[in-house]
Amino acid sequence: MIRRYDATLHVDRREFLTLGAGTLLGVVASWRRITLQGPDSLPGTGPSGRLWDPARAGRPLEPVTAADNDAVIQAIEKQLHCTCGCNLDVYTCRTTDFTCTVSPAMHQHVVGLAEQGMTGQQIIDQFVREHGVAILMAPPKRGFNLAGYFVPSLLIVAAGVVLTLVLRRWARTAAPEAAAPRPLAAAGTPEELERLRGELDRLSV
Amino acid sequence: MPLLGHLSLWLAFLVGLWGAITGFAGGAPPQGRADLQQSARYATFAMFGALVVAVISLEIAIFRHDFSLEYVAAYTSRNLPTFYLWSALYAGQKGSLLFWATVLSLFAALVQAMTSGRHRVYLPYVAAVTCAVATFFITVMLFAANPFERLAFVPLDGRGMNPQLQNPGMVFHPPMLYLGYISITIPFAFAIAALLSKRLDSDWLVAIRKWTLVSWLFLSIGLLIGMWWAYVELGWGGYWAWDPVENAALLPWLVMTAFLHSVMVQEKRGMLKKWNLALIIGAWLLSIFGTFITRSGVISSVHSFTQSSVGYFFLAFLIVTGTASFALYASRLPLLGAEARLESMVSREASFLFNNLLFLGIAFSVLWGTLFPILSELVQGTKVTVGPPFFNQVNIPLGLALLALTGIGPLIAWRRASVPNLQRQFAVPGTVGGFTALILLVAGMRDFYALMAIGLGGFVVGTVAQEFARGARARHRQYGEGYALALGRLIARNRRRYGGYIVHTGIVILFVAFAGMAFKTETEASLRPGESASIKSPYGWTYRLTHLGISQYDALNRQVTAATLEVSRDGKRLGVLTTEKRQHVDGLGRPTFQPSSEVGIRSDLREDLYVVLGGVVNGTEQAVFRFTINPLVWWVWYGGMIVALGGLIVMWPGGAPAAKQSQAGYAVRLVGEDQ
Amino acid sequence: MLELIAGILLAAGAVYFVLRPILRPEMTGIGNRESGNVSEGEDPDDDFSSRAVALRALKEIEFDRATGKLSDADYDNLKAKYTTEALVALRAEQPGAGSRETGGIGAAPSPVSRLPVPACLTHGPRPESEAAFCSECGRRLATAPGYCARCGTGLEHDAHYCQSCGARVAA
Repeated sequence: MIRRYDATLHVDRREFLTLGAGTLLGVVASWRRITLQGPDSLPGTGPSGRLWDPARAGRPLEPVTAADNDAVIQAIEKQLHCTCGCNLDVYTCRTTDFTCTVSPAMHQHVVGLAEQGMTGQQIIDQFVREHGVAILMAPPKRGFNLAGYFVPSLLIVAAGVVLTLVLRRWARTAAPEAAAPRPLAAAGTPEELERLRGELDRLSV
Repeated sequence: MPLLGHLSLWLAFLVGLWGAITGFAGGAPPQGRADLQQSARYATFAMFGALVVAVISLEIAIFRHDFSLEYVAAYTSRNLPTFYLWSALYAGQKGSLLFWATVLSLFAALVQAMTSGRHRVYLPYVAAVTCAVATFFITVMLFAANPFERLAFVPLDGRGMNPQLQNPGMVFHPPMLYLGYISITIPFAFAIAALLSKRLDSDWLVAIRKWTLVSWLFLSIGLLIGMWWAYVELGWGGYWAWDPVENAALLPWLVMTAFLHSVMVQEKRGMLKKWNLALIIGAWLLSIFGTFITRSGVISSVHSFTQSSVGYFFLAFLIVTGTASFALYASRLPLLGAEARLESMVSREASFLFNNLLFLGIAFSVLWGTLFPILSELVQGTKVTVGPPFFNQVNIPLGLALLALTGIGPLIAWRRASVPNLQRQFAVPGTVGGFTALILLVAGMRDFYALMAIGLGGFVVGTVAQEFARGARARHRQYGEGYALALGRLIARNRRRYGGYIVHTGIVILFVAFAGMAFKTETEASLRPGESASIKSPYGWTYRLTHLGISQYDALNRQVTAATLEVSRDGKRLGVLTTEKRQHVDGLGRPTFQPSSEVGIRSDLREDLYVVLGGVVNGTEQAVFRFTINPLVWWVWYGGMIVALGGLIVMWPGGAPAAKQSQAGYAVRLVGEDQ
Repeated sequence: MLELIAGILLAAGAVYFVLRPILRPEMTGIGNRESGNVSEGEDPDDDFSSRAVALRALKEIEFDRATGKLSDADYDNLKAKYTTEALVALRAEQPGAGSRETGGIGAAPSPVSRLPVPACLTHGPRPESEAAFCSECGRRLATAPGYCARCGTGLEHDAHYCQSCGARVAA
């Protein structure tokens, strides 16, 4: 940078670009720090205030209980299909779309059954009795449903076997043919071979 | 403008119909009529022009907030941010059909303008097929889902766009996926043209090579952006749920990927002609099938557009085109003999066949699972739900087998390989894979599938690295190039092979990311300001999240309730995270839609901390949160970028130095002959 | 009203545009050739003549041996086989040189003449001795004077290289 007598700054193009790049890098480097900056001190842990407009925060919810986070309950709910039309399991639905009232109700039902001392399988069976098999996220492995699970794999295995056999036949029929044209190679005259070599050299790899 | 739009839609319909008729008639044997052929080709340009006018009319109506149009009133509102006014074009069924038809006609026109040389013989039929398909979409619009349909009265404000669609991901995901979906029509059109004209040598493959790559790349990018959108917007904490519509997009991708592999066998050996044609036809039919699923509502899905008669149009179209194409295909089978024979069971050709088997197997199992509820209702009369547990159970083993083949295939020579050579080839990658799995096992990872995925990933990376290293060394020895130059030239001169290997590396990274999801942990908590909850990461450290408080404010078209949390990991403060509940409102301040969640995510390379604000207790600041730790999520996005990069290398046009040399060589030979 | 007029004008324009090749057939040929010259730099990989395929195979066999994928026995075997194929293809391409049949190309026996026999790059030598275009694909034949042998572009009188594809001009 040259400071001229008339006090204007003269910056040539390279300097300008360097400055620009430097500024950009500086901004990028400080970006995370700026965006992640938190408050200076933690707020008090006193009683929580009311929201200005609770309706904007969606449906009022109940506080989370230990049963909500229970691993066994979660595992059960992940096998049950929410009937609200969301295509999710009960656990995912109630912890994703908090507007849904169906999945919390089903959750309460699961918790209630668990409190009666039912095991996971019994609870699931109970749901199947009440709602039919469609309540399960994956169909039970019996009857026609077995086709659902095993037809693709069986088909692939069958196709693999057929493919292996066919390939083997192809390879075998091809073998004598591969041997046949060999004598022809000798038929190439020196000029022809020379030209072939030339072409190969020109064909870059 | 709606009138002009409506008129141009009709114009596009008539022109498209004309193009389809003249294209087929003009190409018909014995002679073909050049004037009809040319007219068909011009019809694609005219159709594109008319559809562009229709799109512009609709966009003008959207930007002018012309709520006399049903579509504009249903999907936009006065306070919708400008950014999303653009994407409103494809936010609903009708607009997306228009968008689809327009992109298709753009491709149809591009292919007519850009195809050169000997591939021009296919063009009349290509024009006919593309016109016919586009005309079908226009027909659906005109008779079942007209975007220019008027309302009897003009509402003060529109309903606005679904909040979940108001996300940058949704601005780019549908066009990308559509571009991929739609561009499959071009290879399909060439396949039909090749069948009709009986020019079934490898010429048509060359003509579509770039197009298949384009559509594969767009499909891949579209799927990935869709995953990203689902992850950051839907709030359930994952990126893939085996939803029918996700499956519908995955199916053509799987078949196209199979094609990209098997086409190499045809190019090098002149084998698999029947197979490749069938794959292209199948991929296209699956793309129409996907559209049918998305738009008919036969299978319930989060993505479904509202149920309408449109589905029947698609079903009929699917049946008619499917029958016609395969009938044509069957009639040409005798012309599709292989030019060469398989030389050995142990060869790259054979490994590609098994690769195709797995790709199609996965495609079939996805299709099977998607349709199984319908099948079950037909066969046993009971409804069943086929959710992620089903798909994971069936597809994870298949995916792992495919991953293994990704590592094995490149190690086998074309034509023939022998056992001692194979042992030498497998030594390094096998060791790398084994060691990777062993280290993870020692580190305490016990999930079988995750171990397999990452171990096989190591194997594939070993293969790719060895391919690059040995290739560069061979060049170094043969041409005396330095290793860096040799590596550069190796890639530049064999973009398709080494670009493909880069794609493989990206796929490995994706698989590792998928494996990471096996260690997802989640917990719920209701916190008063100042209270905190902790969640243990699979890496062993503990996150502590302290609720700082809730603020409420108005934004452009929504009322925001934002909860702020301070995050620390093992006592070290990391920063704050904000997660929101958004109540969208229209221009008059009336609430539209249910409140939606805006996820707060803190990412690093190892894991994402994913926080959702569920709501508040009794209208107080005590808030209900869900905290999720999603390991390795960024690997999905990075893996996707590498896949896209590899795809770009494969597609990179021109054979710059190589082409020049071989052309010169050809000319020299001619000189020799003339003497 | 304005919209209606715009729509009608648009329709009229489109109809004229689409029907032009039929109303004025003399346009079609020109249009074809014009756009036909716009050639994307052809990739050598796009060449599927049996000569090119065999040559590429030979290169690949060489490379596969260099990277240790092919055993020496397999290498010798394959090399012999593909050398033969390449030679057969080379002979077939050589105009007027013998009448060897190759699998893919239906090479017609060429008349003995001092003029070079016209040959198409994809469909081989043509039976019609005076042909300027291939009777199968309509492509300009390689030996037509004044046109590029590779891409068929019309050449400047004293060109040494084709202005379209860069191939050296045989002169």
